[in-house]
Amino acid sequence: MLIDRTHRLWFWGSVIGLAVGLAIYIPYAHFTIGGARGGTIIGILYGIVGFGFMVFAGLLSLRKRFPVWRMGRTSTWMRGHIWLGLISYPIIFLHSGFSFGKGTLTWWMMVIFTIVIISGIVGAMLQHYLPKVMTKQIPYETIYAEIPVIRGQLLDEADVKVAEVTGVSMASSAVTSAAEDAGGVIVTLVQMEEDVRNELTRFYNNELRPFLEKSGGKGCAIAERTNSVAMFANLKTLLPDEIHPVIADLEGICEEKRELDQQIVLHRILHGWLFIHAPLSLALLVMGAIHAVIALTY
Amino acid sequence: MAPTKEITLTIDEQKVTVPAGTTIFDAARINGIPIPTLCHQQNETPVGVCRVCVVDVGARVYTAACIREAENNMVVKTSSDKVKAARKTLVELLMADHPSPCAREQQSNDCELEALAKNYSVGTPRFAKRLTPSHLKDESSLSIMVDHSACILCDRCIRGCSEIRHNFVIARQGKGYAAAISFDADLPMGSSSCVSCGECMVSCPTGALTNKKVLGQKLEQGAALSGLSVEAQELLELPVFKGVSGTFLELNKGAVVKRTYRKGEVICREGDYGSTAFYLVEGTVDIFISTPRAHVDTEGSQDGFLSKLASKLKPRKEHQREEENTARKFIFIDAPVDLEYDHPVAKLHAGDLFGEMTCMNFYPRSATVVASEDVVCLEMLRNVLDVLQKNKTFRAKLDADYRVRALETHLKSVPVFTSLTQDFIDHLRDRVELQRFAPGQVICRQGDPADSFYLVRIGFIKVSEDHPGGELVLSYLARGNYFGEIGLLSDEGRRTATCAALDHVEVVKIHREDFREMVGRFPQVRASLEAVARERIEENRSRMHNLQSVPVDDFLKQGLMDAQSLLVLDLDRCTRCDQCVKACADAHDGITRLIRDGLRFENYLVATSCRQCRDPLCMVGCPVGSIRRRNSLEVIIEDWCVGCGLCANNCPYGNINLHEFPAPAGSTGHKATVKKATSCNLCYDHPEPSCVYACPHDAAHRINPPEFFGKILGGKQVEGIPYSMAPGMMDRRK
Repeated sequence: MLIDRTHRLWFWGSVIGLAVGLAIYIPYAHFTIGGARGGTIIGILYGIVGFGFMVFAGLLSLRKRFPVWRMGRTSTWMRGHIWLGLISYPIIFLHSGFSFGKGTLTWWMMVIFTIVIISGIVGAMLQHYLPKVMTKQIPYETIYAEIPVIRGQLLDEADVKVAEVTGVSMASSAVTSAAEDAGGVIVTLVQMEEDVRNELTRFYNNELRPFLEKSGGKGCAIAERTNSVAMFANLKTLLPDEIHPVIADLEGICEEKRELDQQIVLHRILHGWLFIHAPLSLALLVMGAIHAVIALTY
Repeated sequence: MAPTKEITLTIDEQKVTVPAGTTIFDAARINGIPIPTLCHQQNETPVGVCRVCVVDVGARVYTAACIREAENNMVVKTSSDKVKAARKTLVELLMADHPSPCAREQQSNDCELEALAKNYSVGTPRFAKRLTPSHLKDESSLSIMVDHSACILCDRCIRGCSEIRHNFVIARQGKGYAAAISFDADLPMGSSSCVSCGECMVSCPTGALTNKKVLGQKLEQGAALSGLSVEAQELLELPVFKGVSGTFLELNKGAVVKRTYRKGEVICREGDYGSTAFYLVEGTVDIFISTPRAHVDTEGSQDGFLSKLASKLKPRKEHQREEENTARKFIFIDAPVDLEYDHPVAKLHAGDLFGEMTCMNFYPRSATVVASEDVVCLEMLRNVLDVLQKNKTFRAKLDADYRVRALETHLKSVPVFTSLTQDFIDHLRDRVELQRFAPGQVICRQGDPADSFYLVRIGFIKVSEDHPGGELVLSYLARGNYFGEIGLLSDEGRRTATCAALDHVEVVKIHREDFREMVGRFPQVRASLEAVARERIEENRSRMHNLQSVPVDDFLKQGLMDAQSLLVLDLDRCTRCDQCVKACADAHDGITRLIRDGLRFENYLVATSCRQCRDPLCMVGCPVGSIRRRNSLEVIIEDWCVGCGLCANNCPYGNINLHEFPAPAGSTGHKATVKKATSCNLCYDHPEPSCVYACPHDAAHRINPPEFFGKILGGKQVEGIPYSMAPGMMDRRK
């Protein structure tokens, strides 16, 4: 979520809340025999408030499960998630008397809590910047789930383009195979020498097609834009002018595939942090509940 | 009786004796001497306009044989070299402007002018062709094609129409090169009072008036379809074809097929496309909508537990639309009866016509028709139906049927007229006028005095306003809508907009006096009409304001200015979490009505979701009127959608989709699965669309395009969206 002026109220609310917490904490820590700790009344109150904020932050995922239910706008829940989640961390420190956890459970809870908070901050930062990067760098952005389909279409398009000039059907091309199965004959649009045909076919089969076939560009020299520009330029010098429009089309297809790969990477970064943040948050809430029961019972 | 005086003359060195008063042309013809002609026919008064029949009678100039009376001792030369040369020049002059081969020559190889040109060995004319023909083709008639460029102004059609048929539709207009034949003071033929008798095209010597074949004219016949082509003579014996031109029926043989159906057989199905209308000759049929009245619904499907639970705990209001159960009591269909919403089944009897809209406008069938006993009907193509509808006997019967059977339901199904009493409806029954309009024909023009109120019975009306930049479409009106009330209720008494037929339209015209009596007697009707008029005026005013306040060029290209509500996603905020799509699916029982893809303007994505267009093309053609506007904004699809897909095809932005879903238990109809069209209805049962409400990042917004883009273009910040674009941004995007 973009942190902008609309967060002002939440920001100042959090600052004031934290300031009040600190204001109470100083005399409380000073005058309490044995120092501030979780077991005192005020310590428990800090714990309740901190855990309450954590629970609220955790409820966001449940809120998202019922998007139509009118329980407040999801963006309001999201702001609450960010700011209350964030200040819950110092409040828990106030609860524990700035101890990182004396027992095993509390120690692990603090470790997980720290990871959750850090991952949340990283996530917020990623969500702040990456959408702009995606918008700028991927003009042909598509729906993430559609990427394999689009990749398939690009491959088919490239197969047809190459087959049109070489007359050579790509072995596993869905389009040309289907056309041939239906009794179609590939007609070449350009007359070319055998060695020219071989060069184009070699480039396509060895360099471009493997890149178009798979997700990502690992192991493909053409995946790098600089390499790709050089390779296509080289191909143009080797092949006659009549084929240059086809090469330009193939270069365009290659660029589009590169954008799809980039979209995948950015999408994974944009959402990948959740694989740490979400399960650890759930674990933290469960552990927090256990901690509360144990602490209050014994 | 005095004996007829006879005269003797010499034609081509042959002495001939004929009664006094005989023309040279007839004298020659009686004695077997051929004189070519183009403008003259035996059954028409000679006019001598083509001059092809020129002969030499020894006078200073040659004379037209068709109009010059023979004289005693006259010596006539019909085929001297000089006469032939003069005739050839005339033919050559006519051929200079003739589109050779013309339609008649192509159709039947019998263009008289081209035949004459061959006889006289007229090759490439020496004379220049006119650069800009004053008239082009007129394809407005469904039966006759008019090609003015092939017309030689022989006037045979005019005499055929007036002298033989006494219809007096065709005349001449214009002078010199601008002269042409015209229909009812220069109306398109299809909009004129022409009854398509076919006499003009039979009279025409060239391809100027030809029989317009309908594509795939021959209807399928054969045992499988129990169809049999009907001879013209047999058709003319049916009362319904009384007065129809036999010539026309002969020329359109195969365009009418007699079909027999056994009890229970389906004659046509709702949603199917077709091009024919049916006239019931014998028997009775059931006409009904078999598609269940429901919205796309996946409650019964294998959805997730939470979705099912949510659906159970909070069912959608979409299933409980009060409007459908109160205001709209009838579903309009393409037949002389309307279907009751609660029981959408009716009967049609011998003498009823159904499928007019499908036949004339190629809209999908609006209802399923099943023979309830053994049935004989005539299936006909649009050119035959057009002729029938112009036939006074048939027209009178259809009008009478409508007044008796449908006027009441039609009036009562329009919400503002629900308070009309039975005695007033009876009073109106004989006073309303049913009028037909051809596509493009203006029904009432902006600025004209308001003299009537109209109810749409068949077809679609385009309502537009003139403004300095051109025509602005305000609305499309379908069956069940009405217009003309603003002018009648206002003090000025003038039309505020132009209403024109978008396709073949039929309206019920209520004259000003009856309208005044109605609003006088029923204050509730007056109040409702005034409220609607105020609403429409306000809406038009705001539309004009929007159009004038924003630079429109770029938006018009994308149709964005036409949108009333766009779903835009701020891509700088959107994390592509698809929460909007999930919310949409959740709001509509698992089937999303938005796709997070579409046009991009800098960092804004215009998502694929209904734009609630001001000019909602999707509504045009719905055979059952199930897609409509709610108040003035939301375009909604009612639950009696028959799933024909026309609205989805019509939507230029791909924002309407068809979904198949299991038929709800206990619903009417017999289909196990049905298709329904779905589109965004702005979640009108909620204060805010679910997609916007559910976006966790404040990236989704439903915006008013002129306001939103207007502010952006002005460099001002848009409220709720803390972004602004620099002025001239749109120019950079080009």
